[in-house]
Amino acid sequence: MLYNNLKLFLFVCLFIVFNLQAQNCNNYIKGRVFDKGTSLPLSFVNILIQESLKGTTSDKDGFFILDNLCQGEIHLIISHIGCDPKKILIDLKKDTLLRIPMSHTLLGAIVVEGEQSSNNYFQSISSLSRTTIENNSNKTLGELIQNESGVNLMKNGSGISKPIVHGLYGNRVKIINNDIIQSGQYWGNGHAPEIDPLSADKITIIKGVSAIEYGAGNLGSVVLLEQQKIEKEPHLHGQTNYTYESNGRGNNVNLRLEKYSKYFAWRINGTLKKYGDKKSSTYFLNNTGYQEANFSLTLQKSWKEKLFMDIYTSTFNTRLGILRGSQVGNITALNIALNAEIPDKTDSLFRYDIDAPKQEINHHLAKLKLKYFFNENNSITFLLSGQLNHRKEFDVRRAGRSDIPSLDLLQHTYNSEFKYTHSFKNLWKFKIGNQNIITNNTNDPNTGILPLIPDYNNWKNGLFSTLSGKINKANFKIGFRYDTELQKVAEISNDLPRRIIRYENNFHNISGLSSVKFNLTSKQSLAINSGYSERNPGINELYSFGLHQGVSGLEEGTLSLKKEKALKNTLEYIWYPSSNFSINTLIYHQSFNGFINLIPKQKENIDGVLVNEIRTTLRGAFPVFMYQQTNANIYGFDISSQFSIRNSFFGLIKYSFLSGQDVKNKIPLIYMPSNSIFGSLKYQINKSNILNKGKFENTEIEINNRFIFEQKNILIGQDFVSPPPSYNLFGLKFSTNLILPNYKIRFFTEFNNLFNVKYRDYLNRQRYFANDLGLSVIIGLNFKF
Amino acid sequence: MKLKKLLILSIIGFISFSSCKKDDPVTPVIPNEEELITTLNYTLTNAFDSTDVVTLTFVDLDGDGGNEPTITGGSLNANKTYNGTMELLDETDPADVEDITEEVLEEDEDHQFFFSAASITVNYSDVDTNNNPVGLQTSLDAGDAGLDTLKITLIHEPTKPNNGTVADAGGEVDIEVSFPINVVQ
Repeated sequence: MLYNNLKLFLFVCLFIVFNLQAQNCNNYIKGRVFDKGTSLPLSFVNILIQESLKGTTSDKDGFFILDNLCQGEIHLIISHIGCDPKKILIDLKKDTLLRIPMSHTLLGAIVVEGEQSSNNYFQSISSLSRTTIENNSNKTLGELIQNESGVNLMKNGSGISKPIVHGLYGNRVKIINNDIIQSGQYWGNGHAPEIDPLSADKITIIKGVSAIEYGAGNLGSVVLLEQQKIEKEPHLHGQTNYTYESNGRGNNVNLRLEKYSKYFAWRINGTLKKYGDKKSSTYFLNNTGYQEANFSLTLQKSWKEKLFMDIYTSTFNTRLGILRGSQVGNITALNIALNAEIPDKTDSLFRYDIDAPKQEINHHLAKLKLKYFFNENNSITFLLSGQLNHRKEFDVRRAGRSDIPSLDLLQHTYNSEFKYTHSFKNLWKFKIGNQNIITNNTNDPNTGILPLIPDYNNWKNGLFSTLSGKINKANFKIGFRYDTELQKVAEISNDLPRRIIRYENNFHNISGLSSVKFNLTSKQSLAINSGYSERNPGINELYSFGLHQGVSGLEEGTLSLKKEKALKNTLEYIWYPSSNFSINTLIYHQSFNGFINLIPKQKENIDGVLVNEIRTTLRGAFPVFMYQQTNANIYGFDISSQFSIRNSFFGLIKYSFLSGQDVKNKIPLIYMPSNSIFGSLKYQINKSNILNKGKFENTEIEINNRFIFEQKNILIGQDFVSPPPSYNLFGLKFSTNLILPNYKIRFFTEFNNLFNVKYRDYLNRQRYFANDLGLSVIIGLNFKF
Repeated sequence: MKLKKLLILSIIGFISFSSCKKDDPVTPVIPNEEELITTLNYTLTNAFDSTDVVTLTFVDLDGDGGNEPTITGGSLNANKTYNGTMELLDETDPADVEDITEEVLEEDEDHQFFFSAASITVNYSDVDTNNNPVGLQTSLDAGDAGLDTLKITLIHEPTKPNNGTVADAGGEVDIEVSFPINVVQ
């Protein structure tokens, strides 16, 4: 994909025509800028020569001219409101003509053509650009993508969040980090994906029906992190980011360097983060600091434009504190905590220290990717990777045992993948591939506690094939996938005498998709997707047993669980009458047969009436949660619209609606995202201000607003407390770029929860105990050369 | 031609990977659950009649799962004072019973027992290093005749000093058990 993109870059973006007359300082660059998705010309685009700071702006037809240029290498910086800025190296020897396509970053669905994620052309996607990632270097992966429509966050306090797409998360949403399915502990809400988003250049959320190529078990959506190919630039380029966040007094530093040479191209990326206690609108959230140290290395090499090699290694290490007041114990203590105005153990001291309860996580990854082009139309890809995930969770324990983890899991995962792509003359494309994943998961017995998840080995083998093409005005794609999974489990019995019980399960899953996209006119398109997929129960759903940290509930797996089958249909309509206005509507419906969810276990009382089971233990009474299977429907729609006025104002509005129902028991599904509205208005100063030898460009100010509705689709008694009321958060952003001959400095500042609103979020597990985050001011500096 | 070959190749790849050796997980080591409390014995001795001894016990040998716990209440004489002694045990392995009471005693400033009932009253007879009550040694006043329920709670890391209620103490619940008591005339 990356390599196709390079070709595209070479052939389409830089369509260079040479002119014969050449003199030393008498050359010109003429060009035209257009929107990549709509092919409409873009006016008011800033084009700047970094070396001389000479610049111009495109006219109403997208044309520009830079003349009286000297020969030699120059870097052009092209920027436009709502677009990701672009930097192009030109070795100017003659007069040059350029055609520059610009991608509107916020309008993901429109710009997919020919992009890195070209195989998702038919599915609804939204993506985040490198600039967005850099500007949010203080955020986790989850927080970064939570403003995308259809995306929500399952949180456990401020540091731990995992993405929810169209109501699904965990086992059901795959995260693909640099071609590799991110391994880790999918179970539980208290586990965030172990990824440094700053190592990625682009993050894409595919809200489709069944992303056939990305492994078994994903029932629709995929979060894709991709790195750009290292550009063929002989100069050393790099950047460093520093961000300070007032809430938590957090410091974030990131450094990234890359260079191309004829031997190999390399890129390194390193990130350090340190946060102390965060603060709600009125009080400190004690023990919520975190520390993170991440590093990654990319090596790329190609042989005669035929064989491409990509080596990637990364390490992610974190230590996270969990709100002290959230570890309470039994149902009596929980009830006290639920009614408390301020969480237990809250004091007015700010600390960077992290004590129990806490988590310590290490994730290491190594990947080798080889891609060979037989010719322009045929290529094979071979992928090999290994991952190691070590998770330790610490609770407050007696007799100095708080330093001994309560849970200590080590997971090894090995992936291999083989893929063949064939393009036919009529632009039809055929793909076939095979993926294999081996997982080995072990518990350290030194915890002194029976493991929540048993030891297991797991083998997954999948075979998939897709065909895409075009008939008249309709693009289509069909795909099929077959998977087998073998689970071998060694569990320690819950009853006495303790003994080892072994289980072996074999599953066969199939999935298929069909997609069609009609380009109704040049300004509107309609896409219809249908996908069927099967997911076998995971180890946690079958065998978990024990008390879950901070949830005050006993969790029990169910041995009799069967496969979960899902059918999802989506309809997407995009209308883009001009490059100044567009509207995107996505409607979806997903029905599940055998939907697995964790709900309160019920039993008959003396009168034969079903009531929630409360189990008596020495530590008091605990509610029992059990994995159960039911039939469910999840449906909703995401609608987004963006507009620009006179190339100075840029507006965006998104609304998401979702409803989840357990159709068998005729009750709502618990922990489904609330509906939300997001709006932002950005103003850009088009005039550039010269300062000394530098030039200020793309100075922007943005105000945004996020309104989360109260989750009303839930019955009393389905949860410990009713969902929190709706809330409304305002944010303010300001950024400017100072361009100097050899480097670029970007300043940005951001105010989150501007009015220090007191609120709790339905999908934050800590809402039982504490208010969510108060005002936070972020100041950042980005230095690029 | 090439397409066919590759198709065959990928299917062979699939079959060969799916047929490689699949070992069972290595037998896990059963953790030594030394922290588990399986048994609480609250022994009450009449302050003026050492033959009047009542022991309230809560036993749950297999921990959170498996079988239900056994709870044994008792009957006390009305308006009599009893000296109470608390004992906590880990009896998971009958051959190696561990005394958890010692752990609580060592960390007495981080622990406190709380007692609540309708007419029975319990007073602390011991203090920790900071002169705050612990509750391993108590003095119980049986009160008037009637049926009562005595709830005993052990809190880890409570706020000390507190007003004697669980709600005021915060912290984390290590033990919470209730005993049926019959106070007789």
